[in-house]
Amino acid sequence: MSQAPLIGQPLPRLEDQRFVTGRGRYTDDIRVDGQVYAAFLRSPHAHAMLVSIDTDAARAAPGVIAVLTGADYLQAGYRGINHVPNPADAIEHARPAFMQSSTGEVLNIGHLPLPIDKVRYVGEAVAMVIARTKLEARNAAELIEVEYDALDAVVDAIDAMQPDAPSLWDEAPGNLCFQTQIGDRDEAQRRLADAHLVLKREFRHSRVVNCQMEPRAALGDYDEASGTYTLISGSQGAVRLKMALAQALQVPPEQVRVVCPDTGGGFGPRTFLYVEQLAVVWAARAVGRPVKWTGDRSEAFLSDYQGRDAIIRASIGFDRDGRILAIDNEWFGNVGAHTVSYVPMSNGTRVMTTVYHVPVAAVHVSAVLTNTVPTVPYRGAGRPESTHVMERMLDLAAHALGLDRIEIRRRNLIAHEALPYRTAMGLTYDSGRFLDNMLRAVEVSGWHGFETRRGEALARGKLRGIGLANYVESPVGAPRERIEITVLPDGIVDIVAGTQSTGQGHETTFAQVVSTCLGISPGAIRLRTGDTAFVAVGGGSHSDRTMRLGGMLLVDCCTQIIELARQAAAQRFDCDPASLQFADGEFSASGARRITLFDLARTLQDTAVPACAQLDDKPLPPRDAAPARLFARAEFTGRIPAHPTGSAVCEIEVDPDTGATTVVNYTSIDDVGQPINPLIVEGQVHGGLAQGLGQALSETCYVDRETGQLMTGSFMDYGVMRAAGMPPLQLELTEDPTTGNPLRVKGGGESGITPATATVFNALADALDGMGTLERHSAELEMPATPRVIWEYLHSEDDDAV
Amino acid sequence: MIDVELRVNGQQVRESVPDQTLLIEFLRETLGLTGTHVGCDTTQCGACTVRLDGLAVKSCTVLAAQASGGEVTTVEGLARGDSLHPVQKAFVQCHGLQCGFCTPGMIMAIDFYLREPAPLDRDSICHGLEGNICRCTGYINIIEAVRHASRELYPNDAATEERS
Repeated sequence: MSQAPLIGQPLPRLEDQRFVTGRGRYTDDIRVDGQVYAAFLRSPHAHAMLVSIDTDAARAAPGVIAVLTGADYLQAGYRGINHVPNPADAIEHARPAFMQSSTGEVLNIGHLPLPIDKVRYVGEAVAMVIARTKLEARNAAELIEVEYDALDAVVDAIDAMQPDAPSLWDEAPGNLCFQTQIGDRDEAQRRLADAHLVLKREFRHSRVVNCQMEPRAALGDYDEASGTYTLISGSQGAVRLKMALAQALQVPPEQVRVVCPDTGGGFGPRTFLYVEQLAVVWAARAVGRPVKWTGDRSEAFLSDYQGRDAIIRASIGFDRDGRILAIDNEWFGNVGAHTVSYVPMSNGTRVMTTVYHVPVAAVHVSAVLTNTVPTVPYRGAGRPESTHVMERMLDLAAHALGLDRIEIRRRNLIAHEALPYRTAMGLTYDSGRFLDNMLRAVEVSGWHGFETRRGEALARGKLRGIGLANYVESPVGAPRERIEITVLPDGIVDIVAGTQSTGQGHETTFAQVVSTCLGISPGAIRLRTGDTAFVAVGGGSHSDRTMRLGGMLLVDCCTQIIELARQAAAQRFDCDPASLQFADGEFSASGARRITLFDLARTLQDTAVPACAQLDDKPLPPRDAAPARLFARAEFTGRIPAHPTGSAVCEIEVDPDTGATTVVNYTSIDDVGQPINPLIVEGQVHGGLAQGLGQALSETCYVDRETGQLMTGSFMDYGVMRAAGMPPLQLELTEDPTTGNPLRVKGGGESGITPATATVFNALADALDGMGTLERHSAELEMPATPRVIWEYLHSEDDDAV
Repeated sequence: MIDVELRVNGQQVRESVPDQTLLIEFLRETLGLTGTHVGCDTTQCGACTVRLDGLAVKSCTVLAAQASGGEVTTVEGLARGDSLHPVQKAFVQCHGLQCGFCTPGMIMAIDFYLREPAPLDRDSICHGLEGNICRCTGYINIIEAVRHASRELYPNDAATEERS
């Protein structure tokens, strides 16, 4: 039977059967023989010296096997985690994004699983108890007596740069990880000096809590005989975790195995190694038994790496027609208490000019340590921040110059004829119909009929506003990826990939690609990921890289497989390889002779079957023992142009009596490249939008400025988007083809979130404008714009009250 | 220790557990039914939702002993052999799940919402989902799955369509 091409089809997901029947397998679902349980005692202080840790009472408590501290860790000869915070550059992947710092060096401080000298944020793990049961471990943790000498804390990036600010690390004078200038600031300032209008404004992009639904969990084991550590734990990429563990534990990488079962949400923060993941494997060796830890939601709020938290001071110069002349920004990234990642600053500054022609751009970046949970890339990672600043500034400029908001964008958008276009920050856009996307968003959203709706709303006592944002993203992330495909004689095409799903449906989309290339049924395709026993190379899933890099490598592998099989088939039929036709998974020769890929695999290998055992938590035998014959491997290291882009419109209503908001309509026009599965791509846009709207309107990660205490530490206080908060959505996928990869993939994971806060804040400003508030306030509305924030904005006399 | 006797997914079970054992712990740890998940510690997220004596309950907030003598259905007990329950089927058809972690609780909450023909307008469905959090899907396809499942459960209920 002929296999219809599946690329582009809205195929229901192949993996769903197990998830809807409760047979998903997440870390906490896994039990190994003899496992014992870990619990962590966490710091109640944001900043304090550790004077002493008395573990006697805890050790004597029922069921307790061991109590471990940072001193024990160092005594065993282990090292702090090297998170490699400075990412590969967005353009020249072989060098780090940040090459220099006015402070002398770009800091990278080893991250101990348990601190030895002092605690640096509320919730930092201080000691670990291992006991027979979970309850015994938790109860005993409460018996540990820690004497703290409390220090002043600082939680805001700019506060932390002040001369009298408390210092977190001796290595970091002024609490700076690095400070650097990107772009030609002198030239930018010259252009600003001559500009008709220079707008300056400070944007505080709020901190967000990841809130993946699966609380983090980790199961560690150690095999004395082979000296091998095993970590079973959900993540966004097993290989990165393996390398980080090996470095911390001071063993060669082959002595570490990381297994990643089903993972309940990623969004960025599960890319990096967590101290608890390191602690359970260390503890497993220390106590000679497998050690399991499952965090609860309260711990998640205190210790899951968090996102955003950047302050951007923007200066943009315009000519009298509203054309951008130059940008001179300052970016203060709140790194948190440990140097885990500088990715948001790298991504955000590279794409700072977004879809507009900006002749000169400069940004001064400060990466600042504070007494808060470390920050890492969170969905979009810098791109939403830059989009927000640019789009808000354009609305403000339109207001100041008396221009229409669409018109000022039209005047500044990069024309399609100008592609390929190299931005002032060095990115080269190869495709993207920026103007068409905006005009489509204007049309679909009914932008021009809005004033009628505003009037109707006003008659009901509501303030209604509309806002638009254009966006573009940059193809970054880990630059190296590998795919292996084996055609097995038993009728399976086996794929091994270095990326792994945290909900994106790879088992389906990978099958769609391979099915299309090889002409076989998707049911015959099996994807294996997330176990370093068979995944040697791979960067994991983030930055839209899975289908961008993985898709290209799948096509490459399939091409290799077809060529290998063609040679074998030609040999079998004793004919010229070029004379063979390949379709629907089989070769045909003259005389109605046919042979399938699977039959060829069978003839090629009579005895050997590669290691394809199911995930069973045990090391697999080395696969080299029986090399498969119909096998292909493709690997890539580098950058390929792929710039997801689009335009979005938000329409919002504000109740001036309460400050409550309702997003009444939302339009999203997204060029993700060729969607392999539109159902899945649209789902990605939905999810990103929910997170973006949450950040804009309800997700308050409130950390007390004096004490560093998190005041919103549960789902009762932290406003994760609920079903009722989602607006009616008009979503259209569009495509201006990229030639940068054979599947024309750009990426869809961050489409929904990238313009979201910008559209909301533009719509809010438009809604509140009617009350004359824009004239009264020179500062931005606080983010998130909760009812309190909006009410105070409406009813206060000046900025000081906000 | 206390004896807990339950009928779970049609099977009679009897176990002696510590008094403070929660129903979710009893299901996941004592019975090994790991399909039901724990997503929070404040009864907010609904990942642990199961059917207890015909009602949807958050099993993190019910003691196993309280439930004793009752009948529990978890996500593992919804399908009939290979035939998925209409709500399960609708989640697949509508792409109502991504990471799948909240899904069992969502499915059980919707199973309860649709125990009889229910209103299918957006506000009513969202009210029905108020106790369940999803971080991946933005709920749009979950809302669609509710309508989809309702159409299969109540094919002849004209009122269902009118309400949507």
